[in-house]
Amino acid sequence: MFELSSYNTIALLSISTLLWTFWNMWPSKKWDPRGQHCYVTGGSSGLGLAVAVELTKRGADVSIVARNKERLASALADMEKFRQGSNQVLKCYSYSLTDAEGSSAALEAASQDHGGKQPDAVFLCAGASRPGFFVEEEGDSLRKGMDDSYFVQAYSALAYTKRVVRDKARGKIVFISSLLGYMSMIGYSTYAPGKHALRGLAETLRSELYLYNCSVHIMFPGNIDSPGFVEENRVKPKITLELESTSKPVSPEVLANELIRGVQKGDFHIAPDLLANIFRSSTIGATPHHNILLDGLYATIGWIGLPFWRRDVDSAVLKHRKDHDEYLKAKGFYT
Amino acid sequence: MMLSFSTALTLLLSTLVLFLCSMWPAKKKWEPKGQHCYVTGGSSGLGLALAIALTKRGADVSIVARNEERLSEALAQMESYSFSLTDSESSDAALEEASKPHDGILPHAVFLCAGASRPGFFVEEDAKSLQWGMENAYWVQAYTALAYTKRIARDKTAGKIVFVASVLGYMSLIGYSSYAPGKHALRGLAETLRSELLLYDSTVHIMFPGNIDSPGFIEENRTKPRITAEIDSTSKPESPEVLAEGLIHAVQCGDFHITPDILGNIFRSSTIGATPHNNILLDGVYASIGWIGLPFWRRDVDKSVLNHRKEHQDYLEAKGFYSA
Repeated sequence: MFELSSYNTIALLSISTLLWTFWNMWPSKKWDPRGQHCYVTGGSSGLGLAVAVELTKRGADVSIVARNKERLASALADMEKFRQGSNQVLKCYSYSLTDAEGSSAALEAASQDHGGKQPDAVFLCAGASRPGFFVEEEGDSLRKGMDDSYFVQAYSALAYTKRVVRDKARGKIVFISSLLGYMSMIGYSTYAPGKHALRGLAETLRSELYLYNCSVHIMFPGNIDSPGFVEENRVKPKITLELESTSKPVSPEVLANELIRGVQKGDFHIAPDLLANIFRSSTIGATPHHNILLDGLYATIGWIGLPFWRRDVDSAVLKHRKDHDEYLKAKGFYT
Repeated sequence: MMLSFSTALTLLLSTLVLFLCSMWPAKKKWEPKGQHCYVTGGSSGLGLALAIALTKRGADVSIVARNEERLSEALAQMESYSFSLTDSESSDAALEEASKPHDGILPHAVFLCAGASRPGFFVEEDAKSLQWGMENAYWVQAYTALAYTKRIARDKTAGKIVFVASVLGYMSLIGYSSYAPGKHALRGLAETLRSELLLYDSTVHIMFPGNIDSPGFIEENRTKPRITAEIDSTSKPESPEVLAEGLIHAVQCGDFHITPDILGNIFRSSTIGATPHNNILLDGVYASIGWIGLPFWRRDVDKSVLNHRKEHQDYLEAKGFYSA
């Protein structure tokens, strides 16, 4: 008769734990930034800067790209504080990334400083948001919204992919979308389309880049406690601010860590918190799962909870009708 | 005996209640008869089929497209307007023109069927082609939606906007880097406007068809990479007339996301997020099928792409890509 003695139990538990540990450790080789050339757009502030600093701490060569030279210089100084060695290459480049020539030229400049070889990974953190009521937008402001949320990353991805493929090299592209790439609501007609478009591009490239040695990742953060968020709130409609007030903006450093962790795990969609995971799983479609059981749990919570959340948002918008009418009157919209 | 009587009564009452509920007008069904319907991309494909279907139902139909010849070929009983819709001023002007014969009153509903696709490998795209892609998948509808919404709000009338996206607004695969982003963007805009247009008593709808048996599809296939065409080949293109009927019916039912076939419904329910359900129980079935089936579908697609690597390298070699 077999008796599960305490020794047997301990042995069984130990073996199981050991097996489980080995299973998780088994290299599906974790990506390590050390010694890699990482190219970070929007790297002079907010999430981009936090990512650049974190990669510096982990021993990567980091190139940051943005428009403003002063902010770039100050960002570089921040990165220098965490220099890991004398041969670590930390540089900054001033270019406008909302046009294709600027995006190409920036990549070229950063590659030149590394013997002509393009970066091992690009983190496309550049972007901006200018919320507002749809009826107050113009063709131009809609286009600017698309440039600042989509093309500012798409052009860099295009320039990078062409180089990686031409040189038959390895590559890694990391897009930054938003919760507003999983859903949308009042006030985001210039921003949500671009963030959804990024998802569309990432899904295409995840499939297409199997032709080459290039991987794709895309993160969906909520509001980030950054200068960009402060800017955004200047023009945000009151109703949109109200609807968002329940969620606290997250620190860029926390997000940067989540991002790198997700990239290391090889996650395609990177969801940095519970709400993002609920949306990720509820909109998963044909996108690869992280953990099909856990994702099932998130999706179930979403299936039940999201209709209530949405009904609340719709209620709030309906209640806002009179206020909105007065707002438009005051702005001379009807005249 | 007592038990069977009460059981029978319960069943009878339940059936009665269910029957009454299904008859109870949930919301007043939208009727095209007598309504001024504005159809972009109305000179061919889905837009033309829709314009004809709406005309048959007694709507006043205005069709807008660029090509004057194709417009005049389209039935004479409709008003037709030649304007380019990938331009915001022109989209504005088209709407103004179409409102004139109606005493300056705005169309009651706009059906935004205009669009085009030019698939290709990402590495062969450039800034211009990516912009062209966004113009013909997104801007061509967004500009009209903007012009229309501003007028609805200004005139304080109720309106209806119907976008036409694609299953490539729910997912994507190799070859669609200039198109899927624009179709996803349309979803993003539709989700925003469904929420925001509650301020103006107006409704939004968005359809996600697969391939349509239309002149546009023939154009698209000219440049489509072979690997993409292979993966696409399992689904037969749908007739524009069938899609048009389905679209009108779904708009009448008040559906926000409109998916004309089973694959579309599976994708809709699997990516539903915070989007309103059409039928929460049925959608649950579709979502379960998707949860189990889509990973297999995707793995097959990924395998096809991996198997295509050498051929693709030869293709790029032949095109001089490596020596550029």
